[in-house]
Parts: sequence; C-alpha cells; structure tokens
Amino acid sequence: MIGLSSYLVLAALVFSIGLFGVLTRRNAVGILLGIELMLNAVNINLVAFARFHGDLTGLIFTLFTIAITVVEVAVGLAIVIAIFRVWRTVDADRLDLLRG
Amino acid sequence: MTVETVGFWLVAAVLLGSSLAVVLTPNLFHAVLYLAAALVATGAVFLLLDQPFLFAVQLLLYAGGVVTIVVFAIMLTERLVGERIRQTSRHLINGAIVAAAVFAGIAGFLLQAPPAGPRPEQTGDVTASIGRALVGPFAVTFELLGVLLVAGLIGALYFARSEE
Amino acid sequence: MDLSLLLPLLVPAMPFAAFVILAIVPPIRRTGRGAGALSIAAIAVSFVAAVIVWHSGFVGERTWGWIPADGGPIATVGVMVDPISNAMLVLVTLVSLLVQIYSLAYLSNERPGALGRYYTYQSLFVFSMLGLVLAPGFLQMFVFWELVGLCSYLLIGFWYDRPAAARAAVKAFWITKLGDLGFIIGIVLLWSATGTFEFSELFERAEANTLAVPGLAVIMFLIYLGAVGKSAQFPLHVWLPDAMEGPTPVSALIHAATMVTAGVFLVTRAEPLFALVPEVMAVIAWVGAFTALLAATMACVEGDIKRVLAYSTVSQLGYMMAAAGAGATPAGFLHLLTHGLFKALLFLAAGAVIHAVGTNDMFRMGGLFRAMPHTAIVFLIGTLALAGVPPLAGFYSKEAVLGGVWQAHLTGPFLMLALTALLTAFYMFRAVFLTFFGRAHAGGHPHEAPWLMRGPLWLLAVLTVVAGIRLAMSGAEAHEATPGWLPPFSVGLALFGFVLALAMYQRGVIDPARVARALAPLDYLARRRYGLDALYAGLYRGLILGFSRVIGWIDRYFVDGILNALTALTLRAGDSLRHIQTGRAQDYVYGVAFGVLLLFVWAQLWRR
Repeated sequence: MIGLSSYLVLAALVFSIGLFGVLTRRNAVGILLGIELMLNAVNINLVAFARFHGDLTGLIFTLFTIAITVVEVAVGLAIVIAIFRVWRTVDADRLDLLRG
Repeated sequence: MTVETVGFWLVAAVLLGSSLAVVLTPNLFHAVLYLAAALVATGAVFLLLDQPFLFAVQLLLYAGGVVTIVVFAIMLTERLVGERIRQTSRHLINGAIVAAAVFAGIAGFLLQAPPAGPRPEQTGDVTASIGRALVGPFAVTFELLGVLLVAGLIGALYFARSEE
Repeated sequence: MDLSLLLPLLVPAMPFAAFVILAIVPPIRRTGRGAGALSIAAIAVSFVAAVIVWHSGFVGERTWGWIPADGGPIATVGVMVDPISNAMLVLVTLVSLLVQIYSLAYLSNERPGALGRYYTYQSLFVFSMLGLVLAPGFLQMFVFWELVGLCSYLLIGFWYDRPAAARAAVKAFWITKLGDLGFIIGIVLLWSATGTFEFSELFERAEANTLAVPGLAVIMFLIYLGAVGKSAQFPLHVWLPDAMEGPTPVSALIHAATMVTAGVFLVTRAEPLFALVPEVMAVIAWVGAFTALLAATMACVEGDIKRVLAYSTVSQLGYMMAAAGAGATPAGFLHLLTHGLFKALLFLAAGAVIHAVGTNDMFRMGGLFRAMPHTAIVFLIGTLALAGVPPLAGFYSKEAVLGGVWQAHLTGPFLMLALTALLTAFYMFRAVFLTFFGRAHAGGHPHEAPWLMRGPLWLLAVLTVVAGIRLAMSGAEAHEATPGWLPPFSVGLALFGFVLALAMYQRGVIDPARVARALAPLDYLARRRYGLDALYAGLYRGLILGFSRVIGWIDRYFVDGILNALTALTLRAGDSLRHIQTGRAQDYVYGVAFGVLLLFVWAQLWRR
C-alpha cells in the first residue's frame, strides 16, 4: 500500500543523495546540481502532504518553491561565471578567500 | 499489485537511480543530463499524486529552464578542449556517512509517526483552485514573487555581464 | 561652651589649624620663614592657653560620640583635663615653642620649601601629642599615638636624601610599630572584655573592684608593650640612637621631652589599671631599671655627642618606668617633667655646638668654653641637673624615683638605678670635658650661637634652676618617707662620677684606654650595642626579607604562571581553532549537517 510514508521516505532518500552531492562535488556547478536535488525532494514532500491532508497550501508552496529555485539557480550560476572570469577556476577547493 | 504500486516503484527507481548518477558521475555534462531525468521523474511523482498542473510546471520550469541554464553555465566555465572536465570528488566516505546519518535521522522521525490513512478523495478542479488561491489569499505572496524574479533577473544580468 | 572647656580645646586646635593651613595652602608654606612664623604664633597661643588651664587647676572631661552604636557610642573623642594632663600640656607647648623658635636659626640654611615642610610637620606633631595627652580613652590615645609615630618618622627623615636618615626613620617606625601591635591588641581585648575604651569608666570599675577581667595581666602587659616601643625600653630601644639622624631641634622635642614620654604618660595615666596587676608592674620596674643601666653603659663609650644624649634619654626613661613600676607614679611623672626641661636644654645646646663646629664627634671638639661661653654654661647647668646635683630640678626628681623604688623593696632595680646614677654623672661630665675643655681640636672658627638659639637655651636653663628651687621649697610633697640616707647617697654617686670623669678625661690621671682594656668584654659589648642592632637586622634580613622573597617567588611563578599559562592556552586554542575556518563553503555545509544531526538527537531525546 503506497501511503504517505512511502513518498516521504522517497523524498528523504533523494534529499540525502542531494546532500551527498553537495558535500563531495569539487566543481561549483556540481554542487549546485546537488542543491537542485535537495530542493526537488522538498517539493515531493510538500505535494505528498498536500495530497494526503487535502490542503491546497502545499501545492501553492510548491509552485513558489519552483519559481524561487529557478531564480536561485540563475543567480548562482551568474556568480559562478563571474568567479570563473576572475579566478579562471570553479574548483571549490580553491575558492577559500574566507580562510581564517 | 495495483497499477499504482507498480507505477510508484518504477518512478521511484528511475528517480533514485538518476539522482545517484547526478552525484557520482565524473562527467559534468552527463550529470546535467541525469539531473534532467531526475526532474522528469519527479514530475511523474507529481502525476502519481494526482497533480497534473504541477507536473506541467515541473517539466516547463525545471526540466526545461533550469537544465538549460546549467548547460550554458557549464559551457561558459569549462574549457571544452584540452583540460577535460575533471570531476573528481573528494572525501566520498565522509560525505556518505553524513548523508546517511541525515537520512537515518529523518527516517527515524518518519517511523515514529502514526501511520497515515489512505489518500482522501480529490474533489473539484485542483488547477482552478490553485489559480483562485494565487489571486486570492496568496495574492501578496504572488506579487512578491514577481518582485523577486525581477530582482533575480537584474542580479543575474549584473553578475554575468562582461567587464568593460 | 564655657571657658573651662574652651581653653583645653583651644590648646590642640591652634597647632591643628596651623597644620591645615600650611598643608593646603602651598604659597604660605613655601615662604619658609612665613610658615615658621605662623606655626610659632599658633603654638604661642596654645602655650598661653595651656598655662591658664594649668593654673586654674580645672579638672573635668567632655566627650562626643564618634562611632555610634545601640546602647551608646562604641568610641568617643574629647578631652580629659586633670593635673597630669595639664602639666603635660604646659611641657609640650613650652618645649615645642622654644624648639620652633630655635629651629628658625638652626635650619636657616634650608631651602624655604623644606623649611615650610618642617614647620608643617612640627605643627602636626604638636597637635598629635596634645591630642594624645588629652585623650579621655584608649582609642583616641591610640589614634594620636600612631599620628605621633608618623610625625616622628617624617621628622627623623626630614633630610630624606640622606640614606642614613631615611633608614633611621624607617627603623624607628618599624620598631615602635612592634610595640604598637601589642598596644592595639591589648586595647581591643580590654574593650571586648569590658565594653568600653573610656578611662573614667575603667578607673571607676577598677576602684570599685568590679573590673573582673580574665587575663587582665596579659592585657595590661600588651598595653605596656606599646610603651616599650614608644619609650624605648629594652629590647625596643634600638631606634632612639639612630633617630639622631634627624635635625637636633627634632631630637630635643620628640626624643627627649615629648614623644618618648608618651609611653611613661600611658603607664601613669592607666595606673589604676596597672595597680590591679602587680606582676606586670614588677616587670615594668625591672625592665625599666635594666634599660637604664644598659643605656648608661653604652653612653660611656660613645663619641657622638647626640648619641650620648640619646642613650641618656633611654636611660632616664628607664628611670621613669622603674618608678611607675614600683608604684611611685608621681615620682616617675615628676622626673618626666624635669627631664623634659633639662634634656631639651642639653640637646639644644649640643645643637648649638654642632652648628658652630660642623661635626658631632666629641673627640674632634675641645676647648670650646672660650669660644662659646653661654652654650657651655647652659650645657653645664643641664649636666648638673641630669647628674642629680642639688638644688637643681633633676636632683629632686631622681631622688624621688630612687626613694620610690627603695620603698617598694625592689632591691635589684634599686641597685641598677644607683649604678646608673653613677654612670650618668660619669658620661655627662666626660662629654662636658671632651667638648668644652681640654685642647682645642676643632678647626675653623667656632662662634657663639645666634640669639634666636641662645634665647631658648637660657630660658630652659633658668627654668631648670627655678623648678629646682621651687621643689626644694615645697619639700614635703617630693619626699614622702624616703630614708634619710638617700639624698647624701645620690649626691655621693654623682660626685664620684664627676671625679672619675675628671680623672680620666680632664686631668689625664687615669688613662681611658687602660680602663677599657681592663673592662674589655664590657667595652667590646657596649661598643657593639650588645649585638641587639645586629640581631634585629639579622631577623629583618633573614625572616622578613626571606619571607618576602618566598612570597615574591610564589607570585612570580605560581600566580603569574597560572595567568601566563591561561593566556598561552587561550592564544594556542585560538590558533588551532582558526583552522576550522577553511574558507571553503562545503566544509561549512558539513558543519550545518552536523548541527542538524545534533538537533535530531536532541529532538529524539526530548520526545522521550
């Protein structure tokens, strides 16, 4: 029986995989891909809850999340491009200007 | 074995598989393509949850827009010739442990929750309700989203402009 | 407030006003002679008031509460006027006045600023001494006791750029402080047992035999310790000879007539309490007599004229204490008054000699009688008084002391005091012969002292003679029932000492060096002050400095060490923690993930 828990577990799995990607990728764009997966998982969660509790709010929330995610990706990639122009690299290991 | 069950397991498999591929494949281009697949699979999940509108939005914005943007970004930040996209990941074990721990934590909470009942009947046109909600109770949020989009647009333009 | 109360208050108030003005108005102080004039004017008024009070014979007491508490104030301040305090008022103001006038000439070479400082200290001292004398209770007495000690320190170390003077001032302070320790402990113990500091109340209870205090002997002994320090009794006498580093007028005032007599005054004042503890009285008498003898032996081998007089003062203080210990307090007090007069005279005369010749060393003087006849004559008068020759004042008071000790059947002290009388005459005439007679060794032009110095000298000499005559005429009060053989006996001792000094130093009949060889061990010890100074110095260097070195080591290595370790630890911790900030965003995400995990754990625990 595919209940709410199945979807939630699925979302949790995708979230963890996305987190793994964020933690291990060296390329900045790769990290952003991981973030995408995490946000996706969140969306699945929201829609599942909305469906199983009969509440519209979750769906609205999902729409907004998608829109905001798009904006975030755009700006993030713009930053990556700007960094690339100056540093000629997008290796996350080399971007450590905030080092203490 | 209902259709629903089979469908769910199928979509789940695709989603998980492509997600793993996104984070594990060394080639960044391939990763983007696998991400596209994952996004489409997510859309399928939405369909399984009886949300066709969201499926459409997902495909349009995510699979279409985001993937395109990322592809462009990759093209602009990698040298296509010579130094091929070397995509080695580091500290795989550490990341795996932490991710697994987070999953375990979430799953722990899920297991302790009381099991939810079957999905209720879906009445009425969901899409229309969404539309009415967007211009009704969530109108302000909608407008703010518009502002955010403009801001993001300008920001992205500024960052990506060529230095002259 | 009626006159009989106003006058006793006026006496200390005048010098206090002078002190305050000089202290807080630097322009006046810096004029030097102006400061002197102010101070002298104030004390002249004080003197007049003191004489009036003494003459009127007023007796009474007035106090104001100082530390309030339930059931009456804990401590009071005020004045207590009775015959002994009145006599002390006159003595203190008179000698202070003469000394301050004398100082104008003696310190004429000083810079005006320094002279102003001198008179500020002098005014403060007089005020403190008068406050001590007028104190109606132990606490006020102690406060002024300490003030007097402070002034002594300031005045001994007046020439503070001389290392010897600075050392002497600190030594005086330390040694008297030892005694003061006993004093304050004794006072507090007495208060905790009886609940009061006031003399009138304590004496009433003592008379009525209701003063049942356990350990009263110990308490009174502790209080006596204060007198031991201040009045230079053995073994705390070592500071007085060194205090001669101060200017001679200071020595005349503080270390002859006033401050050192505070101890005797204390014992005299608290006589009703001491009378309850005869064992302490016996100690006082024995220590007093022993001190007298010891100091006299040391005076016999001194070459510095001021040191001779200093040891002589210690010796005479011993006389006074012995009398007090023997129960003959009037005799001791009488000796205090007469001794104040002629010892001040001797010191001031010695000061005139030093001023003229430029050295303290008697063996470099000689034949000064021709050059300074006035000084020589007054010095001679003072010597006769000190040696106890009638009809001068010293004879009567010394005889009264001897009589009192004899009547108390204290044979040991009596013998010691008798021997001391002999030695006193001996060393004083030795000083006279060495300084004023014989061959003249002094270089330069010794001249007679200026009138500003001579005036006080003659006045004191006249007073010594007059006082003697008055005592002779009012014969009955001075001798109560002394044995008939005593007056001739004491005169005989004085004569013998004179003859001895004459033989050894003037006529050259007996060679002093041979006598010294014959009494070699005694001579050796006396010259080295019986090793007491060395003992104290050794204790100081060994115990106190050693202890402070240990403490210093602990402070440097433990306390500072702990602090340094903590700081080093903090710095090193900061240094290592710095590396957490790698600057890489992914590492920070690790941090966030860890935080989330912690939150999971906490939430799980919380749900239980």
